Amino acid sequence: MKKTMLFIRKYGLVYLMILPAIIIYSIFVIYPMFKGLFVSFHRWDGLSEMKWIGLNNYRFVFKDQIFWNAMKNTLLFAFVVSIAKNVAAFFLAILLNRNIKLRTFFRTATFLPVTLAFVVAGMLWSWMYNPIFGLINNFLKLVHLEIFIQGWLSDPKIALWSIMFVDIWKWVGFHMVLFLTGIQAIPEELYEAARIDGAGRWQSLFHITVPLVMQVTIVSFLLSITGAFVSNYDLVYVMTGGGPFHSTEVALTWIVSTTTRYAAVGKGNAMSMIMFLIVLVFGVFQMYFSQRNTYEM
Amino acid sequence: MAEKKMARFERISDVGLNILAYVILFAVVLFTVYPVIWMLLGSLKTPNEFYTNVWGFPTVPLWNNYIDAWKMANLGPKFINSLIITAGTLAFVLPLASLAAYAFAKMKFPGSNILFYFFLLSLMIPRGVTAIPTFSVVIGLGIQNTRISLILVLAALNLGFAIFLMRAYFLSLPKSIEEAALVDGCNPISAFFRVVLPISKPAYATVIIFTGLNTWNEYFMSSILIRSEKLQTLPIGLVSFIGQYQTNYPQLFASLSIMTVPIVIIYILGQKQFIEGLTKGAIKG
Repeated sequence: MKKTMLFIRKYGLVYLMILPAIIIYSIFVIYPMFKGLFVSFHRWDGLSEMKWIGLNNYRFVFKDQIFWNAMKNTLLFAFVVSIAKNVAAFFLAILLNRNIKLRTFFRTATFLPVTLAFVVAGMLWSWMYNPIFGLINNFLKLVHLEIFIQGWLSDPKIALWSIMFVDIWKWVGFHMVLFLTGIQAIPEELYEAARIDGAGRWQSLFHITVPLVMQVTIVSFLLSITGAFVSNYDLVYVMTGGGPFHSTEVALTWIVSTTTRYAAVGKGNAMSMIMFLIVLVFGVFQMYFSQRNTYEM
Repeated sequence: MAEKKMARFERISDVGLNILAYVILFAVVLFTVYPVIWMLLGSLKTPNEFYTNVWGFPTVPLWNNYIDAWKMANLGPKFINSLIITAGTLAFVLPLASLAAYAFAKMKFPGSNILFYFFLLSLMIPRGVTAIPTFSVVIGLGIQNTRISLILVLAALNLGFAIFLMRAYFLSLPKSIEEAALVDGCNPISAFFRVVLPISKPAYATVIIFTGLNTWNEYFMSSILIRSEKLQTLPIGLVSFIGQYQTNYPQLFASLSIMTVPIVIIYILGQKQFIEGLTKGAIKG
């Protein structure tokens, strides 16, 4: 009894500070998550009574070709955009870290697409990709590169890549800012010492800059990986709706179609749980690496 | 002699590198900015010009497109709904996240690590996953089809990242600041309000811009939770606008611009603070 009183006196205030956040977060995010797990063991159309069917939904999902194709697209999407965003952002940050004029302008301009809604970016680019009136094909005509003219969103072979490009375009400025701040935190003396030791530009880049921005790289890369998994719905939905012929179907669009259009809520939730587990693996990596790195520093 | 040559080489290649940097940066800026300018130009063209004059300026800017789009898509109430929902979400996220983040950054208590990871989980939950169950929670609370339901859900979804960013910022503050306050007889809470809060503007700016952007631009949850037309936000309005008036692209572009321009202005005004806040978050993350 006395112990509890002491505990409350010592920590009560701290827990009180976190409590409001915990309550809202538990009601509107965590509880629905468990509810989703519960629903995934049922046959349910969203309206009538739920019927317990054990693991059957998971069996259906494992046999669902479209889902696994969508999952493959999601993985491809996540890795391609994460690598592209971070590599491009890193080199842009290096360029911007040089002593050049208009630095603020360049930084602001590169960041501009981050402020656009996915809905806006998606509509804008759908129109830029338009085969007849769009900017891209018109530009290719202008510079006489007609061979590259494509049905950017109508050709199943390249539609997904066209969408990935928009996602990269939208986020590269964000990651550039992250890298820029990391690079600026590196003390100038390190570079000077390296120069005195006769290190060239590339050597400084790979032996000083790259290792010292590791912490930023990990945060940036894993934010982009988990981000690409959990939030590419809006963009794909607006640009192609998953078509043509499911070629741009990602897990989220297929989950939503399964739940709403085909009213298979249980199966949709089973897919969601599978996806959550996959993203969780990356999340655990993130925590592991960022923890380990902090200790080393 | 040889040294002089070396120095000159260094200088020349420095200039050369700078030129290369400018060329690449201008190319990137062209890519990131031109589509937005193109959207603004397109919003001022006649439908005919939109197809024939793809690149250039409109011959006569047709400001009426904005008025027509505003009226036809009934953007007025949607704009106000978006404002209310963004402001409301921030009104929940800012105090709750900063209190929690401060506790995580500066206080030692049993379970602090586990609770922090518990909040980070929200970065890993696919948005589609919780949509339908969230909807049934909202129904269970009897607040379906209201602005407050969307505000609470969006606040809950944004808390994790906000706590993550603010905790990193608070960690970067030197300990001496609050120790001084504690010596002066403040308790941790009043030290937070009197000393830490006033110097944490960058952290708040970052969270305001991030959560604000996420909320203002949010489509998916809103489309599931909001059922009546008069509560619709701008993104939902825009998506149904394409469905209805697919033919008039200049008007569609005008409505895209209406949604985008206020945010761009806010970003440009707040970017200094924002980048400072993000800086600390990334390094200490």
